Amino acid sequence: MRKQIFEFLEQDTRSAALVRLAVSLVSVLILWEVVATFVTNRLLLVPPLEVLNALIGEVKKGAMWENAIATVTAVGTSFIVSVAIGIAIGLSLASSKMLSLTAGPLLSALNSVPIIALAPLFIAWLGLGFASKFVLVLLVAVFPVVVTTEAGLRATDRQLIEAAKSFNATGLQIFSTVTFPFALPFIVSGIRVAWARALVGIVVAEFFGSFAGFGFAIMSASQTFDTARVLGYVIVLGAMGLIGSMIFEALQRRLAPWRQE
Amino acid sequence: MSIARLRIENIDKTFNRTGKPGVEALRGINLSIEEGEFVAIVGASGSGKSTLLRIIDGLLEPSGGKVYVDGAAVTRPGRDRAMVFQQDALLPWKTVAENVAYGLTLARTPKAEADKTAQYFVNLAGLQGFEQHYPHQLSGGMRQRVNVARALAVNPKILLLDEPFAALDAQTREIMQTELLTIWQESKKTVVLITHQIDEAVFLSDRVVVFSARPGTVRQEIKVDLPRPRTLEMKRQPEFVRLVDEIWKLIEDEVRASLKQTT
Ligand SMILES: Nc1ncnc2c1ncn2[C@@H]1O[C@H](COP(=O)(O)OP(=O)(O)OP(=O)(O)O)[C@@H](O)[C@H]1O
Ligand SMILES: [Mg+2]
Repeated sequence: MRKQIFEFLEQDTRSAALVRLAVSLVSVLILWEVVATFVTNRLLLVPPLEVLNALIGEVKKGAMWENAIATVTAVGTSFIVSVAIGIAIGLSLASSKMLSLTAGPLLSALNSVPIIALAPLFIAWLGLGFASKFVLVLLVAVFPVVVTTEAGLRATDRQLIEAAKSFNATGLQIFSTVTFPFALPFIVSGIRVAWARALVGIVVAEFFGSFAGFGFAIMSASQTFDTARVLGYVIVLGAMGLIGSMIFEALQRRLAPWRQE
Repeated sequence: MSIARLRIENIDKTFNRTGKPGVEALRGINLSIEEGEFVAIVGASGSGKSTLLRIIDGLLEPSGGKVYVDGAAVTRPGRDRAMVFQQDALLPWKTVAENVAYGLTLARTPKAEADKTAQYFVNLAGLQGFEQHYPHQLSGGMRQRVNVARALAVNPKILLLDEPFAALDAQTREIMQTELLTIWQESKKTVVLITHQIDEAVFLSDRVVVFSARPGTVRQEIKVDLPRPRTLEMKRQPEFVRLVDEIWKLIEDEVRASLKQTT
């Protein structure tokens, strides 16, 4: 019986993956509940049910929607633009050796700067609201896409390119039938990292310069020592990250099934 | 005298390397191949066999000399030639049917026609039932059949095969050899095949071209007068064994020398 359960959980199917996720979520909740019975200072930790109540309260007040709309529109638009710009920059870097040699080092230098630390500066430049959030998210999310796009295009099997050439393929045909499909799973892995970074970017931007959004809500709740509300919004953000990660991982598998087996 | 299907005239190839001396891969190659002829090239590793095939296909420019197909000089790849590469070169994200149709798709053949032609060659290669499979779901032998079918599907006059069966086990290889002969006899293509297996060269071809070690030159051409259609039993006949021996003596020293260089 136990052996059967383990065998099921180790399977590479969607239902097994969902059960695995449910098992780990439930374990965390139980652990949390247990720890909360020992840590009784409610400023430090509140048990799961109180967090749930706080979340329900936020939904009833309408604050949840207001914050969700602010955060999702900002992070959504900025993320989509980051992906588009990241792919475009990656494409141009991969297609021009000169550009890659000159702009490449600059980009990796920029990438190693903790851009998130510049958040207060961006807010000073661009003011409170959409523009500063947009730029901050863009700057943190764009790099993973640039790097993976260029790497994926460059990694393309030379043998496949030669075969296409042997069939008299044009440059555009080589791109659309060989290099781009080859790079696509790489690009999606970059997009997955970009999504996680975008969420961090948006929260930090909202901490400093915003009157709405999850980051703003977390900040104002912690200023009133409302730990339940803080944790509630953190969980919502965690769920967004998890769902995004799962979607992109599924996409990656779909695009490159030959890498799994 | 009629124009040869494929004429290779004074081909030289030196690979230039920045900062290092160039590698002379081929020197003064001359070959004339008739329509429908099956020619095999054997030679030590590094003797420039793949390089010559790439030049014939138009993927590589020679440093000197010219290749002519039906009297017209080759400058780039064209639909009159198709190549099966030494390494398996199928697109992993395309199905068997799509891979076989790949050359036709690139040439913008209408889809219905491309599908029909691809299906014909899928059947010819004995892959029916696997049309919707992906390359990673196939065995090595099946993958190589897809590579051959893909090359045949564009209906080339000349088929260029670079050690197509090298990665296969001995039994599969023998089966593929007889299948290739059947296909060749039906389609009457001109074939240039590179191989390391001397018995494979003798079994399949009308003529075996023996290359010298680097720089590759044509050391000798040996006519194979075994009757056709050929059967696997012929591999045990005295005439077959004598030809294999003769060719092996020609390249033995160089194969040993090239082994010493690399090990
Ligand atoms: N693109 C290249 N740049 C530099 N040198 C090359 C290049 N391609 C081939 N060579 C060199 O040219 C020589 C001939 O190579 P080639 O691949 O044609 O040999 P081959 O006869 O096909 O060998 P094998 O039997 O091992 O496949 C080798 O010494 C190889 O290192
Ligand atoms: Mg070779």
